[in-house]
Amino acid sequence: MTRFALLRLVQSLVSLFAITVIVFGLSHATGSPIDTMLPDDATTEQIAALSRNLGLDEPLWRQYLVFLGNALQGDFGMSLKWRGQSAMGVVLDRLPATLRLGGLALLISIAVAIPAGVVSAVRRGTWADHLVRGFALFGQSIPAFWLGIVLIWIFAVGLGWLPTSGHGGLAHMILPAISIAAFQIAALTRLTRSAMLEVLDTEYVKLARIKGASETAVVWRHAFANAAIVPLTYFGVLAGSVLTGSIVVETVFGWPGAGWLAIEAIRARDFPVIQAVVMFFALAFLLANVLVDLLYAWVDPRVRHG
Amino acid sequence: MTRISTSTERNPSFRWLRAGGLAAALALGIAAPPAEARDVTIVLDPPSAETNRFWETSGDNNLGPAMQTLLGNDPVTGEIDTSTVAHTWEVNEDFTSWTFHLRPEAEFHGDWGPVTTADIVHSYQLHTSNDSILTGLTLLRGAELEVLDDHTLTFHLPEPRPNFLFAHAGRGIMLIYSKAQYEAEGIEGYDAAPAGTGHFRLTERRIGEGVTFEAVEDHWSGETSAVSTLDIRYVAEPATKLAMLLAGEADIVALPRELQSEATEADYAILSSTNAAMQTAFMFGNIYEEGVEGYNPELPWMDIRLREAMNRAIDRDVLMEVLYDGRAEKLVRFMMDPRGEGYAPELAERFDEDYGYDPERARELLGEAGYPEAFADPVIPIISTTLGGNPEFPVLAELLQVFFDEVGLQTEIREMDWGTLGGMSRARTAFVLRPMRNAPIRPSVQGLSIFYSSAGNPINFVETAQMEELATAMNASIDPEERGEIARDAFTYLYELYADIPVASVGYEVAVDPDTIVGWTYPGATAIGLSHWHLIEPVAE
Repeated sequence: MTRFALLRLVQSLVSLFAITVIVFGLSHATGSPIDTMLPDDATTEQIAALSRNLGLDEPLWRQYLVFLGNALQGDFGMSLKWRGQSAMGVVLDRLPATLRLGGLALLISIAVAIPAGVVSAVRRGTWADHLVRGFALFGQSIPAFWLGIVLIWIFAVGLGWLPTSGHGGLAHMILPAISIAAFQIAALTRLTRSAMLEVLDTEYVKLARIKGASETAVVWRHAFANAAIVPLTYFGVLAGSVLTGSIVVETVFGWPGAGWLAIEAIRARDFPVIQAVVMFFALAFLLANVLVDLLYAWVDPRVRHG
Repeated sequence: MTRISTSTERNPSFRWLRAGGLAAALALGIAAPPAEARDVTIVLDPPSAETNRFWETSGDNNLGPAMQTLLGNDPVTGEIDTSTVAHTWEVNEDFTSWTFHLRPEAEFHGDWGPVTTADIVHSYQLHTSNDSILTGLTLLRGAELEVLDDHTLTFHLPEPRPNFLFAHAGRGIMLIYSKAQYEAEGIEGYDAAPAGTGHFRLTERRIGEGVTFEAVEDHWSGETSAVSTLDIRYVAEPATKLAMLLAGEADIVALPRELQSEATEADYAILSSTNAAMQTAFMFGNIYEEGVEGYNPELPWMDIRLREAMNRAIDRDVLMEVLYDGRAEKLVRFMMDPRGEGYAPELAERFDEDYGYDPERARELLGEAGYPEAFADPVIPIISTTLGGNPEFPVLAELLQVFFDEVGLQTEIREMDWGTLGGMSRARTAFVLRPMRNAPIRPSVQGLSIFYSSAGNPINFVETAQMEELATAMNASIDPEERGEIARDAFTYLYELYADIPVASVGYEVAVDPDTIVGWTYPGATAIGLSHWHLIEPVAE
C-alpha cells in the first residue's frame, strides 16, 4: 500500500510540473495583459512602462523561471485586476464561497443520485426506472446556465420564494446548488444504476436472497456495499468540481466564488490570478484523485497489488 | 430636479423620451409623494478593475458617488462646471498655466479635514505616478504644480493644452484623495475606504459583489442626497440583471438594449442621459500613406471607392431601429459633436447625399474600382467583438455583413476579444474593419489627434500628410476660433476621405423601477456614462 501511495504521489508531482508549463504557456498564448489593462489611446511610452513594471519585457523562459520559483513558495504575484491584492490572496478569499456552494451541491447530488440509482436498478424496467433514467438524461442534456436562468425565473421572479442571485445565506445557495447538482445527479445516478445492475446479478447476491436475507439487506448491505466502488471513483471528479466551482453557474447567479474568479481573471488577462487559480484547481483535482485512488486501493486489494 | 431629462428640448435624438419615458415619468411624478431618504440598489456590469486605487485602472471609475474631481459637469448640459472642489479657475493666454481656487468649505469624509492644495498635489502625484495606467494621461502628465496658498494652485504645463479641463471633468482622471489619510494610514487606508469629498462615503467593497455607499449628512455643498444607502451590485449576466429588476431586488439596472423592451413591457421605465454619452463607428484598419509603419496597399479599403461603397451599402435607419430601438441618432462624423469645437453643420446636411443608403451607387463604385478582380485579397474581414457597454457590436458586425453581401462585397466575420484587437492595433497590424467607440465624447481636437494622426500612434487609424498638417496646426493653435476652424477642416477632410463608417450617437440608458425611483438627471459626460448619484430621486418609502 505504501509503495502504491508513493508511486501515485510521484506521478502527481510530475503532472503538477507539466501543469505549470501548460498554465504558463496558455495564459501567455492568450495575449498580453497590457492589451486589456491599458486604454485604447495608450501611448507608446505607457505601453513600454507597463511592460517593464510587469516584467513582460523579459524573455519568456526567464518569466517562466521566475513564475516557477515564486509558485513553489505560493507566491503568484500581485493581481492586475484586483489591485493591491496578492493573486493567491484573491483565490483564497473566494474559496469559502465556492466550498459552501459546492458542498451543498455535493450533498444534493449524493442525497438524490444514490437512492435514485439504486431504485432504478432494483426496479429495472418499471415506471420508476424509466422516470429516473428520463431525469438522468434530462440532467445531462440541459446546460447548467440555462437551468439556472429558468430556476431564477420560476422561483425568484415568478413565485418570489428565493432571491435571484447574490452572495448570502442558504436561500441564496439553493438555486445555484441545484443548477450545479443537476448534471452531477444525472451522472452519479447512471453510474450507480449500472454498478448496481452488475452486482445484483452476481452469485453472492443470489446466495444472500436464498439464505433469506431481507430485500433491504440484500440491496444495501450486500449489493450496494460492493457496487459503491464505481460511484466512488466518480467522487474524485465530483470533489474536484466542488473545489473549483462552476464558472457558468457562479456567473449567472453572481456568486463570487473561485469559478467566477477564474472567468473574470481570464477576461482581464490577469496572469497572476489565472495562474494561481488554475494551479489551485489542478492541485485540487490531483489531490482528490490521489485520495480516491488510495481509497480505491484500500477497498479493492486487486488495485494495489495489480 | 428634473424628473427624467430636459435634454429632449436640446437634442432631437432623445425625442423618444418625450414620447415614452417622459410621459411615464411625469405620470409618476404626479403620483409620487415627495422624496424621502431611502436605500437604492443599482445593478451594473462588473468593472474592468475592482480597486480603490483609481490611478491603477484605465479609468473605470467605480468610486464616483464618493470621490470627486477638481471640476464637475452640469447635470443637464454636461458642460464643465464648478460644482465640485474648485469654485473658479483661470487660464493664461497660451493655455499653459491653469489656476484653480478651491472651495474653503470643501471637506473630506470622516475626520480628514478640509480639502487643501496639499491634497491636490498629492492626488496629482498618485495619478501621474509610474503605476498609473489611466486613459488620457498625456493631458495630465508633465505639469509643474505651484502652490499659491492653501486654496489656490497653478498647473504649469510644458505646452499649450486647451483641453486640460477635460482631464478634471468628464474624463475625470484625477480624483481628489486625502493626503492626511495617506500619511496616517498609508495605501492600506485607501484600500480599505478612501475618504472622498462626494455626496456619499464608501462604506464597503465586496469583491465580485459590489460597493456600498452611505449618504453624507450635511454635505459641505449644502445638497444632501435623498438616497440614504446606495448599493451598487456587479452582475455580468443580462438575464439575471433583468430578473433582479422584475423581482424587486434592484431599483436601477443597466440593461442591454435587447432586454430593455422586456422591462418596458412590464411597466418599468427607461432613463437616458440628458446628452449623447457615446459615439460608435466601424474603423478601417490603417489608412496610412506609403512609408508609414503598418501601411498595406493590398487592403481593399485603401481604394476610396470601396470605402464610399461600404458606407452607401448601409441602411442606417435599419441600424438605428435594430440596434438601438430607434433611440439613437445617426452619427455624421466620428469624434464630431454639436457641443464640441469644429462642428460642421453642413456635413450633417450633406450626409444623406454622400453617405445615404444607395446600394445601386455602391455597386457602381465597386464596378468602377474593378472589384473583386482588381484586388489581391478582396475579402473584408469584419470584427465581431464584445465590449462592456456595447453589447450591440456583434449584431452590428453581422448587419454590416448582410448589407455588404447585398452589394457584392466579399466579407468574413472574425470573432475576437477586445484585448486581442487592441494588441493588433498597437502592433499596427489590425488589417480589419473593427468597431470603435468614443466614450465619454472627447474634445474634438483630442479625438482627431488620437485616432486620425500620428499623435495617436500606435492606435491611430489614419495617417496622411494632409491630416498630419491639420493636426499639427490644430494642436499648435491657442486661438479657440482658429482651432475650431482647423478642426472643422479636419472633419471635412475625413468626411470626404470616407475615413470610417460612422454609426450612432447614443445616450447611456438604465431601466428603473417606477415604484421606487422618480427620476435621475445625469449628463452622460463620464467614462462610465453615469454620474450625479446624489440626484437620484427615490419615491418616498
